[in-house]
Amino acid sequence: MHESASHVIFGIDPTWMAVSILLVVYGVIMAEKFNRAVLSLLGAGLMILCGVLTQQQAVAGIDFNTIGLLTGMMVIVAISQKTGMFQYVAIKAAKVVKGDPWGILVMLSVVTAVFSAFLDNVTTVLLIAPVTLLITDALGIKPYPFLFAQILASNIGGTATLIGDPPNIMIGSAAGLSFYEFLVNLAPITPLIMLVTIGCIWFMFGKGLYATDDAKALVMEFNENDAIQNVPLLKKSLFVLATVIGGFTVAHSFHLEPASIAMFGAALLLLLQTWGQDLHAKDHAYEGIMAEVEWTTIFFFVGLFIIVTGVEHTGVIEMLAHKTLELTGGDFNATAGAILWVSAIASALIDNIPFVATMIPLIESMAPTFGGADQLVPLWWALALGACLGGNGSLIGASANLIVAGFAQRAGHPIYFLQFMKHAFLLMLMSIAIAHAYLYLRYLS
Amino acid sequence: MKAKLIMTKDLVVCHPDQTVLEVMNILREKSFRVLPVVDENNKILGAVNMLGVLSKLTPEYIVNGDLKSISYAPDMGFLRTHYKEIIDHKVIDIMDKNPTIVGENESLLSVTAALITFDRFEYAFVANKENVLLGIIAASDVVRSLAQFDPEVLFDA
Repeated sequence: MHESASHVIFGIDPTWMAVSILLVVYGVIMAEKFNRAVLSLLGAGLMILCGVLTQQQAVAGIDFNTIGLLTGMMVIVAISQKTGMFQYVAIKAAKVVKGDPWGILVMLSVVTAVFSAFLDNVTTVLLIAPVTLLITDALGIKPYPFLFAQILASNIGGTATLIGDPPNIMIGSAAGLSFYEFLVNLAPITPLIMLVTIGCIWFMFGKGLYATDDAKALVMEFNENDAIQNVPLLKKSLFVLATVIGGFTVAHSFHLEPASIAMFGAALLLLLQTWGQDLHAKDHAYEGIMAEVEWTTIFFFVGLFIIVTGVEHTGVIEMLAHKTLELTGGDFNATAGAILWVSAIASALIDNIPFVATMIPLIESMAPTFGGADQLVPLWWALALGACLGGNGSLIGASANLIVAGFAQRAGHPIYFLQFMKHAFLLMLMSIAIAHAYLYLRYLS
Repeated sequence: MKAKLIMTKDLVVCHPDQTVLEVMNILREKSFRVLPVVDENNKILGAVNMLGVLSKLTPEYIVNGDLKSISYAPDMGFLRTHYKEIIDHKVIDIMDKNPTIVGENESLLSVTAALITFDRFEYAFVANKENVLLGIIAASDVVRSLAQFDPEVLFDA
């Protein structure tokens, strides 16, 4: 495994080379001056050009299960979002509570959490946040509490399932944890975290939310049925979404990886989407959907996997794992707690995707200490809870946060970094405390 | 055929410190779709058009297409509210700062390409090298010049 570590390249030890590449790439990504996909691909190229990895080793390091699952879900979501079903559900939710502002805040947060659990967080907020602005404009109140609650809800909801958030996809793939296992182990705690978070938001903003009866009546004038753009496509999308999510749930029993199911679902929906149209129209629609896939994210993952593989080959990550275990005294409970809290703080401040990509091999190399890979499962839950919930700690903690902030800015109600952090960081720490108690009671005691 | 041969030269213009209300009244009374905004030396600063003003009255998240269709939303009254807020502003605050501008000697093909590719409002201003306004070409002017088929003008000018 470490055969490349014995060579000396350009007079520089490959260990130092690999670690420097990783640190420089992560550092420049954090500075946010360049596109993160470009940086990760440059770093990956340097790993190969500097001789840390051969191309074969680099390609073997790419987790195609993560890539396939992400791409497949992006295609499915790109098609489904054209049906207007997100807007339909959001408006329906606002009308169910008769236009009451606090009721709308709760309902839209729950809708955001549920959609985020099964689809990606960014798409969810991309579709729900503008409808929220429209509704708060109708109510004549400031959108901040609503958008604030939605940011938290999207990250909490994303924690619940294997496909909810990219860290979970990476963890599930690396550790061989199924969709069903995520559902059974992570989903049960998210409603409690959601409930406590919404409770706190009530104390922070709830009393200030007031709308006149005229404004509430205006919300009731919204016609959710007009939001549905394309009924046949809606049926096809719902059919494929249900099939794919059902497929994820039973995949493990059939020895299928989630990526196969997601990619098959994507291909099926691409086929059904333009069924009966001529070839030219089919090609046109297909190319439109392909353009909506976030290739930047996909290539970012490809580069990142190679960079982390390079560092892993030098044995540095194994060494870091030993250091971590020395610090926790090799105690399993202490290690799980450390992973949870460090992941949460780190994910609040830096991109959680490279963080998790680095943590995965680190945790894997703890297997001998704790008696085999099967014993590591609670540590994976700690990493998933920390990395996903940690995204709520600051405005830059997750991509969805920045998307919502972008909408707020354009609507003339900017969300400020420190203002958000003041409100959100403590709530994030509280959610981690709940997660810690859950881990302790269920897996550790 | 060159831009300067098909442009309208007789222009009504406005100045950056005029109010939005004044300019909107001119647009409505004369049924114009656009007014160039020029400085004291007749250099182009921008353009005011009806659609541009309407887009200033509409929330940004609707204008930029974040919501796609909003056929489900009632009239929420903010167009009227925002209109009242905007009419006392100066033209410079709301004008389109990047109108399509073509050179006086550009070909008909080039003008057509500029209209199709860059412009959402079916017109282009014609300016000399110093950006001084010389005229305006609407999409209809291009079509009219095609209808008046005159090979001599077409190929020699």
